[in-house]
Amino acid sequence: MSDVERRVKEVVARTLKIDPGRITDKSRFVEDLGAESIQSVELVAAFEEEFDIEMDEEEALEVKTVGKAVEFIQKYV
Amino acid sequence: MDDNRAFRVLSRREIELLRMQGCFAEDWGLIEVADGFDPACVRNSHFSGRVRLGRFSDNVRLPGGFEKPSGIYNAVLSNCTVGDNTRISNVPDRIANYDIAERVCIENVSTMQANPGATFGNGVEISVLNEAGGREILLFDRLSAQFAYLMCLHRYRPKLIEQLRRIARQYVESVRSDRGQVGTGARICSAEEIIDVRIGPFATVNHASSLRNGTILSSEEAPTMVGVKVIAEDFIVAESSSVTGGAMLSKVFVGQGCQVGRQYSAENSAFFANCEAFHGEACSVFAGPYTVTHHKSTLLIAGLFSFYNAGSGTNESNHMYKLGPAHEGKLLRGTKTGSFSYLMWPCRVGPFSVVLGKHSTNFDTGDFPFSHLEARSDGKCAMIPGFHLTTVGTVRDAAKWPKRDRRKDATKRDAISFEVFSPYTIGKMIKATRRLKELQDATDRSVEEVSIGGGLVKRLLLRTSQKYYRTGIEMYLLEKVVQRIEAALDDAKRNEKAGSAALQDAVYSPDWVDIAGQLMPRQRLVDLEGALETGSVATLDAFDAAIANILRHYGADEWAWVRNAYEEVFGVPVGELTAEKACAAARELLRVKSKFLNLVTADAQKEFSESSRLGYGQDGEVDDVERDFRQVRGLYEENQFVLEMNRSIEQLHQRIERIEQAIGRQQGTKSICL
Repeated sequence: MSDVERRVKEVVARTLKIDPGRITDKSRFVEDLGAESIQSVELVAAFEEEFDIEMDEEEALEVKTVGKAVEFIQKYV
Repeated sequence: MDDNRAFRVLSRREIELLRMQGCFAEDWGLIEVADGFDPACVRNSHFSGRVRLGRFSDNVRLPGGFEKPSGIYNAVLSNCTVGDNTRISNVPDRIANYDIAERVCIENVSTMQANPGATFGNGVEISVLNEAGGREILLFDRLSAQFAYLMCLHRYRPKLIEQLRRIARQYVESVRSDRGQVGTGARICSAEEIIDVRIGPFATVNHASSLRNGTILSSEEAPTMVGVKVIAEDFIVAESSSVTGGAMLSKVFVGQGCQVGRQYSAENSAFFANCEAFHGEACSVFAGPYTVTHHKSTLLIAGLFSFYNAGSGTNESNHMYKLGPAHEGKLLRGTKTGSFSYLMWPCRVGPFSVVLGKHSTNFDTGDFPFSHLEARSDGKCAMIPGFHLTTVGTVRDAAKWPKRDRRKDATKRDAISFEVFSPYTIGKMIKATRRLKELQDATDRSVEEVSIGGGLVKRLLLRTSQKYYRTGIEMYLLEKVVQRIEAALDDAKRNEKAGSAALQDAVYSPDWVDIAGQLMPRQRLVDLEGALETGSVATLDAFDAAIANILRHYGADEWAWVRNAYEEVFGVPVGELTAEKACAAARELLRVKSKFLNLVTADAQKEFSESSRLGYGQDGEVDDVERDFRQVRGLYEENQFVLEMNRSIEQLHQRIERIEQAIGRQQGTKSICL
């Protein structure tokens, strides 16, 4: 597991208040992890702070799974 | 009825004939008739006092093409005038002290009477917002949302209030009369009692239970309806409105184009243009234009609203069992409250915000538009400033309000600015962005949340909210500037003149205000209030003219504001944009607006997500879920709104391309004068 992947999963677990063991690369934020629209916003904000990046809102919309989030953030860091 | 028209007393033969037809007069000498009067059309009726009857030579036309003969049948008339071709039938108690115009139909009405010195609902004081008093509005039938707003809310200017009340009282005296009126073509059918009610032309009163001390304004192009089982006292209902379905009104103003019904009950409340109120209850409410409440369990109390949508079970507290019902709340324009939302007054919610859940703290988020305000389990308000800027509901609302203007009368009493994005909202967003940045910079990372006027914002979201607002601010300012660039490119000379002329008349204020649906620079308001206080605006006509003048100057005032804000936000003066900067502005608009439209479309897409399919395919197999959803909701790609958004993005691309080409053709031009 890369550093980015580990930190992404930690952020997801912390923000969505879920067991880290439930989180896989294929986990879908909305359908599998129950991220409502407000939590999705909080997730993006948490990623931005964790990695000190600014995520484009439109592009962030396309990030629907944990694995995609890792790929997306790796482009920035 | 024409007062100058010649009337004559009845001939002996006519009196004899009328007697034979079951008529009785306490003094036949006081009964006068118009030339061409036909006694055959008056039967089984009783006359007392001075009565004047018109000519009954034609039928009265009723809805559905049905016709009935004009005349007086089985009725008691006391001190009345009756116009030509009017029908009065089955009035067993009396119609007293009324002037009834031509082609009116009154049938099956028990009692209709005007008493000496009646003012027909004019002059009634209603305690809006503060149920305990102190913000009374004096009703009169030319009341506008703007007049009422100033009278109610600007109590900090006592001289102004005194002058507004003087103007209102003067008007009330001008309508005081010992006689009621029914206008041409009105139809009053099966009403139990109508006391001191003035009924305008072409109004329909159909099966109303009791109407007391009121005015029903109406006109041929904007007929008004008061319907079944309505009980109303101390009221005014304006043109093109309907009050039906057992509505109960006490001390209520219903403005133009409103719909009140389905057992709605309201007291001490004013509803201005295009409000809709069904099933629920209003108490001490200032319902500005487009306040909408449709549900049975919704109570609106002691609040200011406009462009508002109340979810079912919305409720507010203004009492708290202390010094009485003294608290008030303000939901600024465009707010929505979700099902079973509860707010504890005093409270102020910023424009176009969404309120969810049971809030048991007081907060003021008035300067943070488009916010998400959700009650936490501890009753505190969790706030995300700007969250609803790109929600699909906001965009749909903006498009639907102008289309739903039901006011049909030539005179539109309330001045309405429909704009969602305006110097009012964008100005608030600029200030909000600054405040959010200050908080972001000043808050340590260990802090989880900060309070903004009592709303709790997660520290993490301080930056996110700035992004939301930045999108709105940039899109609005660029759009306004690019519109000007387009106009300048179309006709450089004409635009230059028009632009400078418009700016000469413009008033600039950094802050804009929303006066019951009308947006204006604060300075316009200050000037108007000053003029009222000094007496240079001293009549109702002058007030209405001043408001109309402000509305007329909206565009010029807005542009004066945009010029300043654009320079402040982008650091570029817009007076004379170089061709290069004009192109850059157009390209930037393309970027920002496309992003906005894409975010709105993405929000719409949530309505087609997997979770939206829950419960579909009832009693079927797994595949039936999708099939059922498609049949009922359709495909996302085929949704009308989504198609419209996609078209808007396409058109935006074409528009920017055209602008760039036009600027390219004018390469000799050093700058574009806006």
